[in-house]
Amino acid sequence: MGLDQGCHNWSGSLRFRPSRIEAPRTEQELASLVRAIAAQGRTLRPIGSAHSASPIIVTDDVLVSLDHLKGLYEHDERSQQVTFGAGTKLTEVGECLHSIGLAMPTFGDVATQTVAGAIGSGTHGSGRQLYNLSMVLIGGRLVTADGEVREVSFEQDPDFIRALRVSFGTLGVFSSMRLQLEPIYDLHRQEWCCQIDDCLSRLDEISRENRNIDLYWYPRCDEVNLRCLNPPGKEPDYNAFARLIDDRTGPSHKVIPKHSNLPHRFEEMEYALPAEAGLDCFRELRRRIKSKWRRSVAWRLLFRYIKADDTWLSEAHGRESVSISLHQNSSLPFWDYFTDLEPVFRDYGGRPHWAKKHTLRADDLRPLYPKWDDFMMLRRRMDPQGVFLTPYLKMLLDA
Amino acid sequence: MAEFGRRKWVIPGGRIPFHSTGREPDFTSRDELAVLNAGYSDTNLAITLFYPDREPVGPYELVVKARRTRRVRINDLIFPEAVPLDVDYAALIEADNPVVIQFTRVDTGHAETSWAGGIAFPSRG
Repeated sequence: MGLDQGCHNWSGSLRFRPSRIEAPRTEQELASLVRAIAAQGRTLRPIGSAHSASPIIVTDDVLVSLDHLKGLYEHDERSQQVTFGAGTKLTEVGECLHSIGLAMPTFGDVATQTVAGAIGSGTHGSGRQLYNLSMVLIGGRLVTADGEVREVSFEQDPDFIRALRVSFGTLGVFSSMRLQLEPIYDLHRQEWCCQIDDCLSRLDEISRENRNIDLYWYPRCDEVNLRCLNPPGKEPDYNAFARLIDDRTGPSHKVIPKHSNLPHRFEEMEYALPAEAGLDCFRELRRRIKSKWRRSVAWRLLFRYIKADDTWLSEAHGRESVSISLHQNSSLPFWDYFTDLEPVFRDYGGRPHWAKKHTLRADDLRPLYPKWDDFMMLRRRMDPQGVFLTPYLKMLLDA
Repeated sequence: MAEFGRRKWVIPGGRIPFHSTGREPDFTSRDELAVLNAGYSDTNLAITLFYPDREPVGPYELVVKARRTRRVRINDLIFPEAVPLDVDYAALIEADNPVVIQFTRVDTGHAETSWAGGIAFPSRG
């Protein structure tokens, strides 16, 4: 990322020019930087791996890379707790954990994000019993807006951690994160292809008998790719209505993320809905795509499950959820498609993914989150000067 | 049988029908390639699509395993870019080993299914 060419996100749809880019080598350097920025009345934005499709990463002032704050700092096998540098990539997290006999409960479809970026934006995998990734956060070291370093923990202040988990760097910048993990485990990945009607009539049952489960729907052929991951020996058999197209077993960090190295770029809009509304919403989206968008859209819809949590700004706060994602090639027009379907998501009470495309602003978001006002009050208290805000974040948070 | 077919093929008259009737995917209107790789090595295909009014798009990359056939719906290609329906295109298909390619259009836009089949143009180039 060089200032001469400006910066861009993974898909290329966001291009921006920070006033400068900093990459502190230590926590002390990060804290000094925040102090200096605050004293100058300027703003600072941390960036992970720039995977986000929403402008939460965009700034015209100081951009801070956490690339040097990475690696496994400490771990305790008995409590299954570990501390990583906030700039550690999830791919590295998976490898490190495997070497010490531990594992993340799940991953998303890609693992190229940093641990701070994935947790801070509410990145998730899919399964009725699987939380989003932020729920593994139980503490860490946070550089606050006055440049002080604060040790935070769930044991000392659970509500603060519930606010911090999904806060995309607006309450402070993590230098390290303490995570609660699981013993190492293998999963058997099986992907099944079938006709959409054969899937939807069984989906409730399917969603309850697989550990990790999501599905792709392909609008140009009305077929479904059911992606199921289970402990070896506990796999359901769908040969009666589907054909097996992928079948392999391995450690969780190897078989859950599938598309980390996708060479082609795409854009994405995602909303999370109450689980009970998920299928009705999907059916309405499918009708509209087939009648209006099939001429130009061939990309799949992704349907996933997220377990309800108590993180203040989580997509799944207080409700069992499904998420539905729209995709389009980044080289093709996508906004008309996304914004035509966005009202359908909203009609079903959808909450947008913070790191994907959406058009919502603070007035739209506030009614969707029971803890919205508490979060905003906390944010103002933590950062009264707005050191961690950008013009986009001010619109998003009404700050 | 190891060197059977050609390495370059052209389909100049592509156009994926927009409307479909009947249960999908069986009755989805489509342009489809059937590829025969009779040789003893896997073959990589690179498909470039040409349009009347914009720059070509590609390559769309596929593999046909040794001594196997493969059906590919043009409708389903999304990397690097989804192919628009109801738009004229021409396809240039380049293989690193000789293959035989048949092109088929299925148009189910009316209740009476209509099919049109044909062989692609093999080039010695």
